Amino acid sequence: MAALRQIAFYGKGGIGKSTTSQNTLASMAYYFDKNIMIVGCDPKADSTRLILHEKAQNTILQLAAEMGTVEDLELEDALKPGAGIFAPDSPHGWINCTESGGPEPGVGCAGRGVITAINFLEEEGAYEEEGLDFVSYDVLGDVVCGGFAMPIREGKAQEIYIVMSGEMMAMYAANNISKGILKYANTGGVRLAGLICNARMTDFEYDLAWALARDLGTQMIHFVPRNNIVQRAEIRRMTVVEYSPKADQALEYKELARKIIHNDMKIIPTPLEMDDLEALIMKYGLEEEADEDNIGKTEAEL
Amino acid sequence: MFILGFHFPADMGNTVPDAAVVAKLDESGIDTSGINEIKMVTEYHGQKEELSYTKKDTFMFKALVHYVKTAETDYMIYTNRYQISELSKRLDSDDETMALCKKFDSMAHFKITAA
Repeated sequence: MAALRQIAFYGKGGIGKSTTSQNTLASMAYYFDKNIMIVGCDPKADSTRLILHEKAQNTILQLAAEMGTVEDLELEDALKPGAGIFAPDSPHGWINCTESGGPEPGVGCAGRGVITAINFLEEEGAYEEEGLDFVSYDVLGDVVCGGFAMPIREGKAQEIYIVMSGEMMAMYAANNISKGILKYANTGGVRLAGLICNARMTDFEYDLAWALARDLGTQMIHFVPRNNIVQRAEIRRMTVVEYSPKADQALEYKELARKIIHNDMKIIPTPLEMDDLEALIMKYGLEEEADEDNIGKTEAEL
Repeated sequence: MFILGFHFPADMGNTVPDAAVVAKLDESGIDTSGINEIKMVTEYHGQKEELSYTKKDTFMFKALVHYVKTAETDYMIYTNRYQISELSKRLDSDDETMALCKKFDSMAHFKITAA
């Protein structure tokens, strides 16, 4: 039996992390017969909806609050089997889903939910399920606090895939996440396994993503083009792989899934200094270099 | 590291030499002899364009024949297309191929067949 691999998808909020991760994991299960547990680590609890065909799953924190304490919670209450082709009796791989959840907006620490969830899953033996090939963490936004760094901090997720695009803020976030990985690389063994460009279809986006990957010391493992079929599938609370397995976009996710399964490039990243990151962005034309004399001037003043 | 769908071991680093990619293509044993033309249809924002490519003595031609013969469908994976273009710009030099590279660098959707 192959060793369990624990991977994580990080990236800027709104970049399409949950969509990309669910479609990719769905491909790993459907086309390559991999058995997977998804641990959603986002208070929005939207990391599993396309696999479950649900609006949002009840989270571990919600369920614990209803029961009184997390000690009263049973694994089967929090870990749900995937729907449709991802169900336990699937002829392909199966997917189980759980969401950590978080506090009400503006109250408490969202990262705390991640810590609680992972501890609960460990104590309940979720990682020891027979046939489990992959655990995947879908983590909110940037490594903004220790809670969201939990999957990488304590050696849970060994391979990190950063979902990014050619937009400036997505690249800043990718670089920051790399700094977080670097911080814990020696103590926890976490490694950067690649950038996934979830394309906005802007000029030079491939070149920019490729150059950032090269400078971080990693690979741009796949460029996922924009395609409306993703939204059409999402409206039905489905992955593209399930909605239309022969669609062109499903082939893109299948290829990304194949690469992740066979990926052996796991490195300690070399994050860029801010000046170098800005120079990279300017080189590919996302930003025009500002003339020092023009800084702070309105269009009318130029 | 993955280039044109081929896996290159991690110990090769993240900048694989072009010669190693060409060697992988050669090792794949793809026979280009019976193919004289690659036909493509591109589409972007509803605008369709048909393209023909016939430069048989190029890296581009060999890479496209390999793609056609190994892909499951006629859809061109974007990453592979961008990588073919990137390599072809360094390994080929003729005008027809460079014009196709420019088309490949776009955001258009490509379908490809061999004739």
